[in-house]
Amino acid sequence: MDFRYDIILGYAPLLGKGVLLTIGLSLLSILIGSLFGLVIGFGRMSGQWLLRVPAKAYIHFFRGTPLYVQILIVHFGAVPLVIGKTNPIVAAIAALSLNCAAYTAEIYRAGIQSIDRGQFEAAYSSGMTKAQTMRHIILPQAVRRMLPAFGNEFVVLIKDSSLVAIIAAPELMYWSNAMRGQYYRVWEPYLAAAFIYLILTYTLSKILARVEARMGARVK
Amino acid sequence: MRLKSVLTLMTLTTFLFTAACGTESATTGSGTSTGSGTAGGEVTYKIATDASYAPMEYMDKDKITGFDIDFLAEVMKEAGLKYEVVNVGWDTMLESVKQGKEYQAGISSVSITDERKQTYDYSIPYFESTNMILVKEGSTVKSADDLKGKKVAVQGATTADTIMSGILGKESTDLKRFESNALALMELESGGVEAVVADIAIVREYIKNNPGKKFQSVRDDKNFQAEYYGILYPKGSELKAKLDPAVKKVLENGKFAEVYKKWFGEEPNVKKLLEAAAK
Repeated sequence: MDFRYDIILGYAPLLGKGVLLTIGLSLLSILIGSLFGLVIGFGRMSGQWLLRVPAKAYIHFFRGTPLYVQILIVHFGAVPLVIGKTNPIVAAIAALSLNCAAYTAEIYRAGIQSIDRGQFEAAYSSGMTKAQTMRHIILPQAVRRMLPAFGNEFVVLIKDSSLVAIIAAPELMYWSNAMRGQYYRVWEPYLAAAFIYLILTYTLSKILARVEARMGARVK
Repeated sequence: MRLKSVLTLMTLTTFLFTAACGTESATTGSGTSTGSGTAGGEVTYKIATDASYAPMEYMDKDKITGFDIDFLAEVMKEAGLKYEVVNVGWDTMLESVKQGKEYQAGISSVSITDERKQTYDYSIPYFESTNMILVKEGSTVKSADDLKGKKVAVQGATTADTIMSGILGKESTDLKRFESNALALMELESGGVEAVVADIAIVREYIKNNPGKKFQSVRDDKNFQAEYYGILYPKGSELKAKLDPAVKKVLENGKFAEVYKKWFGEEPNVKKLLEAAAK
């Protein structure tokens, strides 16, 4: 097999640019997605149906439809509706964040509901308010249990961000496709992209493992 | 209170990031322009393309280049208009040219068909294309009819797809439709099919880039009729009226032949194009 490193080398600066955008898109979507997910998650657990039902519907929609379709809907439908024209970067961040929020909402719920009911009761009977109980008793324990699931979701999101290449957001996959389009060769662009994604996800899981270890040690 | 500050932070970061990225993507996405900078008051036309179709239009690193792009440069020079080409991808191009708000035209090896004419306006034809068969060296395939009973790959929803569906049968499992020509070519390389049918320019570029793979091209003028490319405009476009005379001029004054020779190393059949334009 002839493998042309010169093609990859020629595209290296652009792949580098693409990686920066991939990282930027992923981090921002993770941030927005997990904050928004918190809102949805608490809505989902709320006793009021006016909060619970929309949150449930949201989660069902974004978990039950392909991200590929969501990206196209946001890009061609939602974004032009709001800002008057298409913009691949805005669409990419919006679609990834909205999708991420649905998954993290469920992670918050699972984490909080995994804490024994007795903990709530004990906190209330010692005079704590609902908010205080959440903040001082439940969340510190729940967050520790959520961490592995969050880590997983973040790794998935980095990989899924490659899908926004279909709307021509100039991230890593986009430039790999451009390389393919110029030379009609597939090994070089796809292997290069795969290798870079692997480095990104591997680095992230290492960081997350450290955070987990530290959080684990401190609570003990 | 807490929630509110979180929300403010969220909107703020989104805003800042998108603002920063918006300008960034504008410089990476748009490769070429007339060069002389934007003078105040003058209109700069925005023209969409799908730069993934070498050698017709593709990204050479971060610059949009190709035959269509050079041809467009000549036309815009002739018309004396300022413009900018932006790589937006195929689907976005079709949709946004149809709306005609952000992009006033599209150029991307778009074949002129009667169906599309219901939705778009076209320039007069500027390029004659045809489909071609790509097979392994030493293959006995001499025409598209010889492909009956063999596995064939095409890019879906192209004219190659339509023609091969006719020959092999629409339901035939021998015909494999891929999202792109590059994937169809990969299928041929890995032995999943015996032939690929695609535009002549694509097939030639592939052979040029993969000399060691030992493939050969087969022309078939009986089954593969001439197709013509046109610049795509929204319905009722004013730009079409401005550019059609310029396209005609560029075809006639030899500039077109110059660009054609630069990319394909041979003389174009301008007479045939002008005849097609007159129809």
